[in-house]
Amino acid sequence: MNPEGDFVPLPAVVARRAARSSLPPPEEGLRGQRPRSDTLGLYVHVPFCTKKCYFCSFNTAPMDEGSMRRYLDALHREIDLVAAAPWASRTRLESAFFGGGTPSLLSGAELNGILDHVRERLALAEGFEVTVESNPESLDLEKLRRYRASGVNRISLGVQAMDDAILPAIGRLHDAHGSRHAFALCREAGFDNVSVDLVYGLPGLDLEGWTRAIRAVLDWEPDHLSAYGLTLDDGSLWGATGVRGLPPEEAVVAQYWALAHEARDRGLEHYEISNYARPARRSRHNQIYWRRGEYLALGPGACGFVGDVRYANVKPIARYAALLEGGALPIERAEHLTADQALAERLFLGLRTADGVARETLDERVDATPALRGRVDEWLGEGLMERRGARVRLTERGFLVSDALFVDLL
Amino acid sequence: MALSRIRNFSIVAHIDHGKSTLADRLLSLTGTMDAKKAVDQVLDSMDLERERGITIKAHTVRLLYRARDGHEYTLNLIDTPGHVDFSYEVSRALAACEGAILIVDAAQGIEAQTLANFYLASDAGLTIIPVINKIDLPAADVEGTRLAITETLDLDGDEALAISAKHGTGVPEVLEAIVARIPPPKGEPDAPLKALVFDSFYDSYQGVVVYIRVTDGRVREGMRVLFMSNGASYQVQQVGVFSPDMRPVDELSAGQVGYITAAIKRVADAKVGDTITEQARPATAAFPGYRDAKPMVFAGLYPIEDTDFEVLRDALEKLRLNDPAFTYEPETSLALGYGFRCGFLGMLHMEIVQERLEREFDLSLIVTAPSVQYRVLTTAGELLEIDNPSKLPTPDKIEEMEEPYVTSSIYVPTEFMTSIYKLAQEKRGEHKSLEYIGKRVHIRFDFPLSEIVVDFYDKLKSISKGYASFDYELSDFRASDLVKLDILLNGDPVDALSIIVHRDKAYERGKALVEKLRGVIPRQMYEVAIQAAIGSRVIARETVKAMGKNVTAKCYGGDITRKRKLLEKQKEGKKRMKQVGRVEVPQEAFLTVLKT
Repeated sequence: MNPEGDFVPLPAVVARRAARSSLPPPEEGLRGQRPRSDTLGLYVHVPFCTKKCYFCSFNTAPMDEGSMRRYLDALHREIDLVAAAPWASRTRLESAFFGGGTPSLLSGAELNGILDHVRERLALAEGFEVTVESNPESLDLEKLRRYRASGVNRISLGVQAMDDAILPAIGRLHDAHGSRHAFALCREAGFDNVSVDLVYGLPGLDLEGWTRAIRAVLDWEPDHLSAYGLTLDDGSLWGATGVRGLPPEEAVVAQYWALAHEARDRGLEHYEISNYARPARRSRHNQIYWRRGEYLALGPGACGFVGDVRYANVKPIARYAALLEGGALPIERAEHLTADQALAERLFLGLRTADGVARETLDERVDATPALRGRVDEWLGEGLMERRGARVRLTERGFLVSDALFVDLL
Repeated sequence: MALSRIRNFSIVAHIDHGKSTLADRLLSLTGTMDAKKAVDQVLDSMDLERERGITIKAHTVRLLYRARDGHEYTLNLIDTPGHVDFSYEVSRALAACEGAILIVDAAQGIEAQTLANFYLASDAGLTIIPVINKIDLPAADVEGTRLAITETLDLDGDEALAISAKHGTGVPEVLEAIVARIPPPKGEPDAPLKALVFDSFYDSYQGVVVYIRVTDGRVREGMRVLFMSNGASYQVQQVGVFSPDMRPVDELSAGQVGYITAAIKRVADAKVGDTITEQARPATAAFPGYRDAKPMVFAGLYPIEDTDFEVLRDALEKLRLNDPAFTYEPETSLALGYGFRCGFLGMLHMEIVQERLEREFDLSLIVTAPSVQYRVLTTAGELLEIDNPSKLPTPDKIEEMEEPYVTSSIYVPTEFMTSIYKLAQEKRGEHKSLEYIGKRVHIRFDFPLSEIVVDFYDKLKSISKGYASFDYELSDFRASDLVKLDILLNGDPVDALSIIVHRDKAYERGKALVEKLRGVIPRQMYEVAIQAAIGSRVIARETVKAMGKNVTAKCYGGDITRKRKLLEKQKEGKKRMKQVGRVEVPQEAFLTVLKT
């Protein structure tokens, strides 16, 4: 029984209540923080999906007109609130990344509205990179042209698989043909920086099928390729129910190597564990993450990093919107990193990349725990890690077992 | 105080039949403590005891009760430990009583420990008051339980009191029955002092607090007393009773139960079962049945972090203050570094010590496979006592080896006889006698101690659905064909994983061990070969394949915290690993040896 009868609380009431709940006052998390750098990234979370993929653990919500409107209103409020920070006028954005969910469910006008508002309130750096994650079935030429006209200069296309039997089995709404068509549309709309997402280790995927998929996609000549080994994450359908038909570990390892070799043959650089790029086409935004740069968060469930604080927004759209309608930043958790945590991050993020980390950074960690020296020597000796001038990095073999080292470096 | 106004009794029961609940009731009914103040089940005061639902230490409390006859009685409730590892302590605590309340659950009926406790109490010559508890339960079968008491125990089921300790129903009658049925203690207050030590604990202010039952004479502050087992003498500093806190009194005389303190520094100096007498006017004989509580099982205890060695040493020293049955001395292991060889009464005792060390001293420990103490006659004519397999001389230097045997006693309903014999055979048991007692049998076996220390009791309980009772006593050493079984990781023997086994069982045991180890040793950066060997002969081998992949593909839209937490979780798991050579061996691996 609802104690308030049929009375529907006003949004402001909801917001006040939300602010009164057990969470710390939302702005608390960033109070007193200022960016260390004068350039920042911007991550915008667009949670809507027509259908959620079975392996996905991101914050998503079913697409409906009402929620979209409320989300957009709130997002615009959030841009204003973030831009009102005392340091905002001294920083410039070097990238914006629309992630999801399915950001390509935004109409051209909606996306344009967001970007216009961002540009109006925050300064942009030279070569500002704007990426929109897109699902093939949600793109058409008209939309892509509008995106491009709005300032979007990079499309990340969610292809995931090229087998029409596998695609519906993982919850996708497009087929292989639709992916190829969508990629062609991106080019037709004038995008010269298009990335393709693939997933290996999927149920029913064998080495032959995977190799076919890689070759098909590489034939399109994408500028960038992200390939993720499937993990059954908490929060995903498969994480909860499990799934049959997963290839054995040796097969997944073979799939990793097949991609590494094919990509190298086509001139793509394996510049991060899961990412490949043509020269000068690395993802500027993602490199901010791996270099431990700072970025702002917008949207429900988005994560940000400012000063020495990592924070995350609340996930449910209703609560996200209610907080903003009440004039509060929708931050759910914020964590001040200790010096040790910061060092560990520098290592386990930097070592994900082909650039690796400075040798002195690794030495700093090893000096604190002398037993690690033997471990590092072992990695060097086994060819899992290598020295390159003043830097150390993991080899492609090292990438494959990198977590085993990262755990020790924490 | 007149002896006729004193009753000394114990409460015994199968686990969960309501011993602690009844004790709480008796305390609150006699106003010994406010029911509200009663921490749940005050007698089981150690956290561990409460969690495991067993009593490890004996506890004692004095209740003052005005009976319906108008007189006030002193009722001393002496609680007893409840596990076979501690049967000696139980027997000493019961020796301090004249009577026992035997609780039977009205829904569960008579169970294994009901029987075992009945025999212990009746062997001690106690008057037993059967009490049927939990009559409030829908499944309670009071009449059936009465019948069972008459048929299974040599007691009159019609005399059993039907109660609900939980609701208090019938509890006043229990108090009346204690007064009416249990005989008052006998004893001569003017004779020389003779008192039985039935427990003790260490208090950092007063030294050892010794629980005693005075049978003759009296003890008071300032008296010089003698411990008859070792001739040590002390001046008594305080005499008192538990009500339930320690409360000083002028004296304890014949028939009474209480405590003394005498600036005794170690619990080991006031051993359970010892006799205290007055130095100036000693008793002629000590109580029979005194036994030095000797450790039966030995295992290495090693800190996972080498830097914790000192912490472990201090912790052992502190625990030992309160637990004379456990011993320790430093040892080194090639695989594990610096640690201690510790002796325990049995596996439960070992687990308790380990758990207390980990909990109370925040230590992460590796416990090596437990071993009994073997006797080895070397070709050079030396006699060695070996409790650590890695110390065993090579076979060419061994003339003969002996292992300890126990005589044991099992009571079990006839329907389980066949499975008991089968189990005994697996455990190299030698049948000694069989006796039918109504629907039950009493079987005596001799066992090698090594066969029964680990999981015998658990197995026995499971194959008999909990009905078998088991008691054992160390008897002698017998020559035996024993070999050392080594475990090798990538060719290097890991001393802490070595065990001594009977030759007939070596192959089977080795095979089972490497198989189990393959399951618990996580994959490493390179292949790990696990071998079992006797001398240089490898008898079993398994391989842990090299790690294929261990990678988090995604960084979750910039959610670095999530990535870090996942890594931290993995790291938490690795904390319980010990680096042995190049191989990371989890704590579990050492437990595996114990359980295989």
